[in-house]
Amino acid sequence: MERVDQDRGARVWGAIDAAARIDGALPSLRYAVSACADALSAVGAGLSMSPDGGPYEPLLATRPEVGELEELQFTLGQGPSADAIASGAPVLATDLSAMDAVKRWPAFAPAAAQHGVCGIFAFPIGAGAARIGALSVYRRQPGPLGGDQLLDALVYADAVFVLALDDRHGLSADLDQVIDAAFTARRAEVHQAAGLVAAQQRISVTDALALLRAHAFSSGRPLHRVATEVMAGHRYLDGDHQGVIADGSDGRGDPPGRDPDPPGSDGPDKQESEQAENEEEDER
Amino acid sequence: MSVSDRRAREVFIELADTLVDDFDIIDFLDRLATRCSELLGVSACGILLVDHHGALNLVAASTEQARLVELTQLQNSEGPCLDAFTTGRPVQSGDMRQADTRWPRFSAAAIDAGYLAVHALPMRLRGTVLGAVNLFSATAGPLDDDTIALGQALADAASIGIIHQRALARQEIVTEQLQSALNSRILIEQAKGFLTHSLAVGVDEAFAIMRTYARTHNRRLTDVANDVVEGRVNIIVPAQESPPA
Repeated sequence: MERVDQDRGARVWGAIDAAARIDGALPSLRYAVSACADALSAVGAGLSMSPDGGPYEPLLATRPEVGELEELQFTLGQGPSADAIASGAPVLATDLSAMDAVKRWPAFAPAAAQHGVCGIFAFPIGAGAARIGALSVYRRQPGPLGGDQLLDALVYADAVFVLALDDRHGLSADLDQVIDAAFTARRAEVHQAAGLVAAQQRISVTDALALLRAHAFSSGRPLHRVATEVMAGHRYLDGDHQGVIADGSDGRGDPPGRDPDPPGSDGPDKQESEQAENEEEDER
Repeated sequence: MSVSDRRAREVFIELADTLVDDFDIIDFLDRLATRCSELLGVSACGILLVDHHGALNLVAASTEQARLVELTQLQNSEGPCLDAFTTGRPVQSGDMRQADTRWPRFSAAAIDAGYLAVHALPMRLRGTVLGAVNLFSATAGPLDDDTIALGQALADAASIGIIHQRALARQEIVTEQLQSALNSRILIEQAKGFLTHSLAVGVDEAFAIMRTYARTHNRRLTDVANDVVEGRVNIIVPAQESPPA
């Protein structure tokens, strides 16, 4: 039975944060990948991404053999990670020596077995049309992940997605902001707004999501609220300014008359939103 | 066989026909929501699926009002679907004007939208609850047992559609398919947002236009949505609509 688990996100983010703290660092992709491997009692985990919409390549791996097997999947054009990216859904290979796995990936499955890997659980990184990569967990023993581990892995994949989006704008959000984004990332308005911004700015949906995130971060507002304002035509995100919105997050307490809003936008923003920490942006 | 029995049979045949190899889950659930409200004699129907955070997500609704009421339910974390999902049992309120204690905000939103009665049926698949189906009625009063049984059969059809198969659905398969359905819904939302800008229409109109395009061109709804956001298809507003500003 599935139950509402409000704590799962906080637990996963806590583990990523804890892993980063050991190094005195901020949460980043590599800590998300290593914390995920630990949580799933795996031999290793790897993250493969497509840097600029180009071919997918291994970006991070907790150990070299994982990186090699990730690389091999993209070379061969087959394997769980490659399939997860293509389908947008998790691909859970519980036993790579089993007949169905060998049939599905005739060149890759035996190669993985040679490396002593029996299970690969691949989770797409992305949402809808934003497909940026896959997080894959490697295990030595065959068998399924526990139900809890499976759900945790999906939350790790969410975390990696948010961290990867923020990376594009050089952001390093604190835990609360990241949890907010992870929890609201699936809300309809956020994705509608991403589609709208993509059409408006002629950018990819991935870039549009990153832009929404950057704006939410720099204005200190929840992602879904920014999205609702975009959908209502109250917000115009300027893609050329590294997430700086056109209507006044470049300064504190802009007078209402200064809003360079596009036509159709109705009016100035509430001043309470200006509590943003703007040190991420280059203020003159 | 009564008229409604015949109609029920037709609907199940239509749904079974939709479940071909490469069917589109969102199109399937969208049809199911529409057929549900028609067949069960209710005013509207909404379908919600659980994600990995344990939160319900709206994946289909037969009307715009129903969609808004469902969103109220999700935003306030109260309502019959959440109860049906948590308990795995049907939940009903024959007259929400008298049910304020259980879901005060949901009831208020539903009454505002013109619905007086609500029924929620769990979407079960073996030991797992995948989500819930919500039925809204403009008139007060409980649904009779036959109608509820038929509603549950339609909810079960939705579960089977999502998992693709009735037999031995292992946890991995349930998760893979559920995530796939939720991800398809996200893609649809992105394409809706895209079209609101490029066609200067509202989100619901954007969905209707996309659905009509997919059916007219005999294509999967999610494939069309994907082409929309990648700029590979040029959908125009149907002739009777006013042109984009």
